[in-house]
Amino acid sequence: MATPGHVSGQALPNRVIPALGLLALALVWLMELGTIQPNRIVPGTGHGLLSAVGWLGAGLVTGALAGAIVLSFLSLRRRYWLLLGVVGLSLALMPLLLDVFALRHLPENAPYARSSIGAGFWCLLFLLSLMLIEILGRLRAGRSLQLMLLVVIATSWLLLLGAEGLESLSLVREFNARPDQFEQALRTHLALAFGAVAISAVVAFLLALKMIRSPGWQRPILGAVSFLQTIPSLAVFGLLIAPLSALSSAFPALQSLGIRGIGWAPAVLALIAYSLLPMVRNTYVAINGVPEHLVDAGRGMGMTERQLFLQVRLPLALPVIIEGVRITTIQAIGLTAVAALIGAGGFGGFIFQGLGEAAMDLVLLGALPTIGLALLADALLTMLAASLRPTPATT
Amino acid sequence: MRVWLPPFLLILLLCGLSLAMPMLEPVFHWMQPDKQSVIYDRDSFLFLLQNHLMLVGISAAVGTVAAVAGGIIATRRSGRDFLPLISQVASIGQTFPPVAVLALAVPVLGFGEAPILVALILYGLLPILRNTLAGIEGINPAVREAGLGMGMSPLQVLVRVELPLAGRVILAGIRTSVTINIATAAIGSTVGARTLGDPVIAGLVNGNTAYVLQGAILIGLLALTADSLFEALERTWERKVSPTATVA
Amino acid sequence: MIELKNVTRRFGETVAVDNINLTIETGEVCVLVGSSGCGKSTTLRMINRLLSHSDGDILVDGQDITTMNPQKLRLNMGYVIQGTGLFPHWTVARNIAMVPRLLKWPKERIDARVDELMTLLGLDPAIHADKFPQQLSGGQAQRVGVARALAADPNILLMDEPFGAVDAITRENLQLEMLRIQQQVRKTTVFVTHDIDEALRLATRIAVMDQGRIIQHDTPENILRRPASDFVENLVGKQDRGLKLMSLRPVRDLMTAHATPRPPEAGAEGLKEEDNVRLALSVMLWRDLPQLAVINARGEETGFITRDSIIGAGA
Repeated sequence: MATPGHVSGQALPNRVIPALGLLALALVWLMELGTIQPNRIVPGTGHGLLSAVGWLGAGLVTGALAGAIVLSFLSLRRRYWLLLGVVGLSLALMPLLLDVFALRHLPENAPYARSSIGAGFWCLLFLLSLMLIEILGRLRAGRSLQLMLLVVIATSWLLLLGAEGLESLSLVREFNARPDQFEQALRTHLALAFGAVAISAVVAFLLALKMIRSPGWQRPILGAVSFLQTIPSLAVFGLLIAPLSALSSAFPALQSLGIRGIGWAPAVLALIAYSLLPMVRNTYVAINGVPEHLVDAGRGMGMTERQLFLQVRLPLALPVIIEGVRITTIQAIGLTAVAALIGAGGFGGFIFQGLGEAAMDLVLLGALPTIGLALLADALLTMLAASLRPTPATT
Repeated sequence: MRVWLPPFLLILLLCGLSLAMPMLEPVFHWMQPDKQSVIYDRDSFLFLLQNHLMLVGISAAVGTVAAVAGGIIATRRSGRDFLPLISQVASIGQTFPPVAVLALAVPVLGFGEAPILVALILYGLLPILRNTLAGIEGINPAVREAGLGMGMSPLQVLVRVELPLAGRVILAGIRTSVTINIATAAIGSTVGARTLGDPVIAGLVNGNTAYVLQGAILIGLLALTADSLFEALERTWERKVSPTATVA
Repeated sequence: MIELKNVTRRFGETVAVDNINLTIETGEVCVLVGSSGCGKSTTLRMINRLLSHSDGDILVDGQDITTMNPQKLRLNMGYVIQGTGLFPHWTVARNIAMVPRLLKWPKERIDARVDELMTLLGLDPAIHADKFPQQLSGGQAQRVGVARALAADPNILLMDEPFGAVDAITRENLQLEMLRIQQQVRKTTVFVTHDIDEALRLATRIAVMDQGRIIQHDTPENILRRPASDFVENLVGKQDRGLKLMSLRPVRDLMTAHATPRPPEAGAEGLKEEDNVRLALSVMLWRDLPQLAVINARGEETGFITRDSIIGAGA
């Protein structure tokens, strides 16, 4: 299904970039780029683009966006590469806006004063990212280019955020106030999410094998795991509290292991229960979906059932199984954040503590790394699945 | 109409339990003899159920209209330019954990029902959008061409061919969206929306397991009810609208 | 040699293969032909025990196959199926090397064998060895399928509608290729097809099957000349049998030979000795010639064939 804009044409005008660009221009001028707070709790005063970064900064932002819009209308052959340059550079240098903003507006001799990021900045970030996705799609960029770009932008952000001017940024302040807690949260979050995914992968593999060996089990197993998936996380965590605390008060030995009504035990149990459905379904579909004529060919040429499984079924099923692991991992990273409600720790702790104290920057300190982890897991596992698929696309 | 029996029974059970929870006081007392109050009483369970349903219902309705419209536009000739971006956003967006989306809505919109509603709509949009695109794109092009070739207008092809064929997949997307949103709305208690998550959160804060249990049971029942409703809907759709939908 | 004695296969109540007797001599190509559901594939799959037979005996070189280890049995039988059955996660070379690897041949021997087979089937190892099956054309993939079946030099080749999924021109090329290879390797071959022309072209003997029974088992010529029943007669085509018979007969049979081979006249187009008579007649009709020169494999003119001699010989 070739669409004209896709095949013949790098030179055709692109309507997506101008649409995104105009929206970005409107939002960045209408919304607040940042706010200055005298201290952590008191609401701050907002600054629009012009007031925040001055004529020069506002001019640069407007110029970059307008440039992208104009470029997308020109019929140049290397247009998308130019666009990639403009948009990529803008994204990489975005923290500079915050830097300039803090320099211009942060009162001196006010140790508790802080600058925080406004909606305008987030919108600009979001829309520029969309433009980048669109450009990469039009360029049919390979994984290596995408990865390289990501690394460049991430490095630039880390360098700029680590630089002097941004100490006042509230997010950075919140982080600097509790680096150990942050590290601890990261470790707990990863341990809970990946531990649960690993355990459920093993369980799901065995269940899927059971379903393949004895098809009678297919309905009950799939029914049970999709039932588990339907129950909302908060309910599952809640429902596990009573039986687990009853169990641990009946067997005090369990308590010394850390198994109680709240904490990591119910969190891991619930995470495993949630992970089973995507894992079981993908593993089953993957192994069962290996075309029968291929299995037949292998068998007809003298492979034993074991060889068939290890050399034909499993390798062909692996990309789909990994896809299941990917879905499960993303889901587990998100649910681990909820598990903080029952005292399991992790980044959810920052989110709910922040919500409780109405300290929005603490909320961000929990939410942003959670999203980052999910995106990272997504990217890594997508790449893994792609590299395990040895057959290039059909020509 | 046997498929409609389980959702009907579940609805009865859900409403009944919401009304009759206070009557179960002796049971919860037996479980937690050391607590004075064992029945959550800041709001009635029926009110919380209503509010929870309203949040999910509004977000599902708005999300469905917006996502289906977006999906249709992106698959028309005039909107094709936007298709790659929209489908990418729909899939990348789903990697954002719902809790994080909820948390991000608060700094921008403040506490209360508004941020929840916005977060639920935005997040709930994605699975519906993704399935609408998959459903329409999955239709064998020959079917569409046959419709056009026999003199149907593009609008007729959309309404009489594409939407009925893609309907089952779109419905599955709405089901996913509602399932996720029931769970997210429950967590919404932490940002000030009054939902069935309230008793759970209150119970966790005060160490009152009975509260937690009451909230958790009702949330679980609500999710099961919604799920069985969709199950019945999908079965009925399969039988009546497109018995042999040929969606790849 | 493969012998089927009173072999029956039932699926529940239905009888797929009904008490058949069939002997396939060493080195011959036996083609099982019939419409879909006649039991031809079932028969083939019983020979390598992908299906077990319900009754009767199947012997391979005199040995009852039920007494043999099924894997060992299959390793000595090449198996080619429709749509190739190549493993998409393996390269062409790895696919061909499959059975030798199962047999644990040393690596050098496997590599040499893969090269040899690819060359035999007209695939350049340098170009195609490291490709994946999806990157091949239908015809190339099918050649790889045949190469894979021949890899460990099995005594027996089982082919289940191998050329069913490729276009007509590619199919004809593959058939010619197969005839050429069969002349070199002389495998005992069981070939299943629903295409009677393919059967007539490839078979030493044809077994026509219908409703689980073998209706007639004979040489292509006898099938055409003396069909055993209306069913066979309809299958081979009542009215163009004359032409079909012509296509079974090589030009060599009807040509008038020169005393000694001579260099061909410049610019003259000739037929090859192994071309069939039907082709000769067609060329003469098209170009309105009474006779055509016949050329041997070395490019020498060895004789000529006339229109009259063909018509005179009859069917």
